[in-house]
Amino acid sequence: MSVSAIADEIREPVEERVPVTLLRVLRNEYFLYAVSLVLFLYIWDWVAKAQILGRSLATPHQVVRELARLMTVKLAGKTLVGHVWDSTRRVLVGFTIASLIAVPLGLLMALNRYVNAIVKPVFDIFKPMPPIAWISIAILWFGIQEGSKVFIIVIGTFVPCLLNSYNGVRLIDPELYDVVRVLGGHRRNEIAQVCFPAAFPAIFAGLQVSLSVGWTCVLAAELVSSQSGLGWIIIQGMRLTKPELVIGGMAIIALVAWTTSLLVTGLEKLMCPWKRQVEGL
Amino acid sequence: MAYEAVRVKTPLILKILPAVSILLFFGAWELTVDTGIVPSTMLAAPSLVLKLFIAKLTQSNPDGAVLSTHAWTSIEEAGIGYLLSLLIGLPLGLLMGWFTTIRGLFRPVFEMIRPIPPVAWIPLCIFWFGIGLWGKVFIIWIGAIVPCVINAWVGVRMTNPTLIQMARTYGATDWQIFTKLCIPSALPMVFGALQIALAYAWTNLVAAELLAADSGLGFLITMGRRLGLPEMVVLGMVTVGFIGAVIGVAIDMVEKRLLAGIRR
Amino acid sequence: MEECGQDGLKISCDKLRKMFIQKGKIQVHVLEGISFEVFHNEFVVILGPGQSGKSTLLRIIAGLERPTEGRVLLDGKEVKGPGPDRGLVFQSYMLFPWRTVMGNVEMGPKLRGIPKDDRRKVAAHYINLVKLDGFEKHYPHQLSGGMKQRVGIARAYANNPDVMLLDEPFGQLDAQTRYFMEKEIIRIWEAEKRTVLFVTNNIDEAIYLGDRIITLEGKLPGRMKSTYTVNLPRPREHTDAAFLELREKIIEESQLFL
Repeated sequence: MSVSAIADEIREPVEERVPVTLLRVLRNEYFLYAVSLVLFLYIWDWVAKAQILGRSLATPHQVVRELARLMTVKLAGKTLVGHVWDSTRRVLVGFTIASLIAVPLGLLMALNRYVNAIVKPVFDIFKPMPPIAWISIAILWFGIQEGSKVFIIVIGTFVPCLLNSYNGVRLIDPELYDVVRVLGGHRRNEIAQVCFPAAFPAIFAGLQVSLSVGWTCVLAAELVSSQSGLGWIIIQGMRLTKPELVIGGMAIIALVAWTTSLLVTGLEKLMCPWKRQVEGL
Repeated sequence: MAYEAVRVKTPLILKILPAVSILLFFGAWELTVDTGIVPSTMLAAPSLVLKLFIAKLTQSNPDGAVLSTHAWTSIEEAGIGYLLSLLIGLPLGLLMGWFTTIRGLFRPVFEMIRPIPPVAWIPLCIFWFGIGLWGKVFIIWIGAIVPCVINAWVGVRMTNPTLIQMARTYGATDWQIFTKLCIPSALPMVFGALQIALAYAWTNLVAAELLAADSGLGFLITMGRRLGLPEMVVLGMVTVGFIGAVIGVAIDMVEKRLLAGIRR
Repeated sequence: MEECGQDGLKISCDKLRKMFIQKGKIQVHVLEGISFEVFHNEFVVILGPGQSGKSTLLRIIAGLERPTEGRVLLDGKEVKGPGPDRGLVFQSYMLFPWRTVMGNVEMGPKLRGIPKDDRRKVAAHYINLVKLDGFEKHYPHQLSGGMKQRVGIARAYANNPDVMLLDEPFGQLDAQTRYFMEKEIIRIWEAEKRTVLFVTNNIDEAIYLGDRIITLEGKLPGRMKSTYTVNLPRPREHTDAAFLELREKIIEESQLFL
C-alpha cells in the first residue's frame, strides 16, 4: 500500500452483516416489538372490557371510532383537524416569539460580560419556576383568550432557548477565535464566522426541549381554560365522562408532538449537515 | 495548551452589577404596582407578597392551610412520584439498554407513552384516581420516568465497546458484563437523569395541583386566582421556584461528592 | 509583498520573556531570554521536549500573545498582534467544523473581502497543492487526521502570508502519516517558498525538515540551548550517515531521552 493511500483514508461508518437463523428471528428486536404491541393492545382491550378500572377505560376500538367520528363531526365548532391546528398554532406562535428574544439575548449574554452581569441574576431567579405556575397570572392578565395561552408558551420555551444559545457560545473552543484573528479577521468576524455557526447545533438542541415544554404548556393552559384545542378535547372527555374521547385526544397529542419533534430533527439535519449523528433514541 | 490565558482583573462594576440589577428589578416591580401603572388586581407588589408570606407562616386563612402544610403536601406528592420513577425507570432503562429481549418487549409501549406530555394524563387520572394523592403521584411518576429510562438506556449504550470486548475475552457472561461494566459506566448519565427527573417531577406536580387538588402549592396558586388575590398567586409561584432551586442545588452537591473521581 | 530587511532578515526576536498568571496568583515563567533571527525563505525548526514553552513562543510571533518583555520584529517592524502576514497551522487542526474543505481554505481571502470567484480560484490552487483535489465538498469530520492537517496548511497558505508558523502540526498523527506529511511539507514548501518556523518535539523530524534547528531547554522557563545548521541536501534520508551523526550530536548535547 503506498503511503499516500494511508494518508487519504476517509472515515465512514461500517455496517456489519449478521447471518439469519431461526433463533435470531425469535430474539430479533423488531419481531419482539411487534409481539409487544399486539400484547399491549390485547391486554388493553381485555382490561377495558372486563371493566377492571370501572367504566373509566375505553377499548382501542372505541377510541378509533371516536377519533374517526371527530374528523367529520364538529365539536364546539371545529373538527379534529381544527383543534389540532389550534393547539399547534399556539405552540408555534409562542415558540417563535420566545426564540426571537431568547436566542439573541443568550448570544449577547455569552459574548458580553456586562450584559451577562445584568441579565443573568434576574434570569436565575425566574429559572426554577415551572412555567405552568404562571397560568394563574396569565389568566389574571389576559383572561381566557388566546393571549394567556401564548403567554405561557412564551414563558415556558424562553428558558431552554436562552440556556442553549448561551451555552452554545460559551462552549466554543477558544482557539477557533484565534484562527479567525490569524487569518486577518476582526471581532465582528469572530462573532459572525465562529459564534453563530458554532451555536447552531446547541440552539437546535434547545429546540427539541423547547418544543416539548411548549406542548406541555399549551395543554395545561387549555385544560384550565379554553374553548378549543387538544387540551380542551380531553377535558371535555372528562366532563362528558367519555373515556374514549380522553384517550383518543391523548393519542392524537402523542402523534402530533412526535411529528413536530421529527420535523425539528429533520430541520436540524438540514441546517447543520456537519454535525455527526450520535446514537440516541 | 496547559496555561490559562492571563486574566484581566474583573472590574468592580461587574461585581456589583448583579446586585444592582436585582435591586432595580424589585424596585421597578414595586413601583409599577404602587403607582397604579399595573392595577393591583393583576399584580401584587413585592411588599404585599412579603406580608402575606409572613402571615401565612401561621395563619390558615383564607385557603385552608398554613404555608408549610401546602409546601409539605407538594413535596410529599412529588417525592413519592419521583422515588417511584427512579425505582422503576432506572433499572428498566438499564436493562433495556443491554438486553435485546427486554428492550423488544418494553420499547413500543415506552415510545408510545413518551411523546404524551404528563399533563395530558390528568383527565384520565381523575377518572381513575379521583382528586387524591395517587392521581398526582401517577402524573409525576409518568413524567419523571421518561428521562430515567432514556438516560439509563443511553448510559448503557455508551459503554466503551473496547471494554466490553475485553470482558468477553475474559469469558464474562452477559449478566456479568451488565452488572460489572455497563451499570458503572452508565452512572454519570444516571445522575443526569436524577436531576432531569426531579425537574420534571416538580414541574408536573404544579400542573397536577392546578387542576385537581385541595391542598398543596399549586392549589395555593389556583386559590389565589379564584379569590382574586394576586399576592397569593405570586407567593405560591415564588415558593415553588424556591423549593425547586434548593432541591436542584442539593442534588448537584450530592452528585459532585459521589462522582468526584469519574470524569464526565 | 515580500519585503526583506537587511541581509534578507525576516524575523528577529529580541530577549523575549513571557510570564503567565495562573489561577489568579501563581506566576508561571514560560520563556526567558529568547533571541534569534530567521532569514527570508528559511526553514527554521524549534526543537524542544514537551512543556518547554515552544508553542507559546510561536504564539507570540503569531501575535496571539504579548511578550512580558522583549519584542519581535517582522521586516524591522514590531509585531503587535495577529495578522494575515503570518499564517498559523495548529496542532489540533482547528478547522471550522461547519464549513467544507473549500469553505475552510477560502476563509482567509473571504475575511479580507476578496470576491467569491477570485478566492475560489486561490483556494482551489492550494487545495491542489496539498493534493486534496476532489475533497472540496467534504466536511472535516469526514476526513482523516492527515487530511485535516493538509486542509489547515492549505488554509494558512491561501491567505498568502510571508511567514508560515507551524505548531507541532503532525503531533496528533500516527507514525506512517507523519513520515508522509514531512515529505509533503517539504514538497509544498519547495513549490511555494515562504519563511517557515516549525515547532516540534521530534528530533528526526527536526533534522529532516530544517535548514536550522534551535533547541530549547527541557524545563521551564524555556531558554535557548543551541543552534544547529543542517547542511544536508534535500530530499534527506533518515538513515543517512550525516543525518545520524547530527542526530547523535543533538541528543548528546541536549541530553534528550529516547
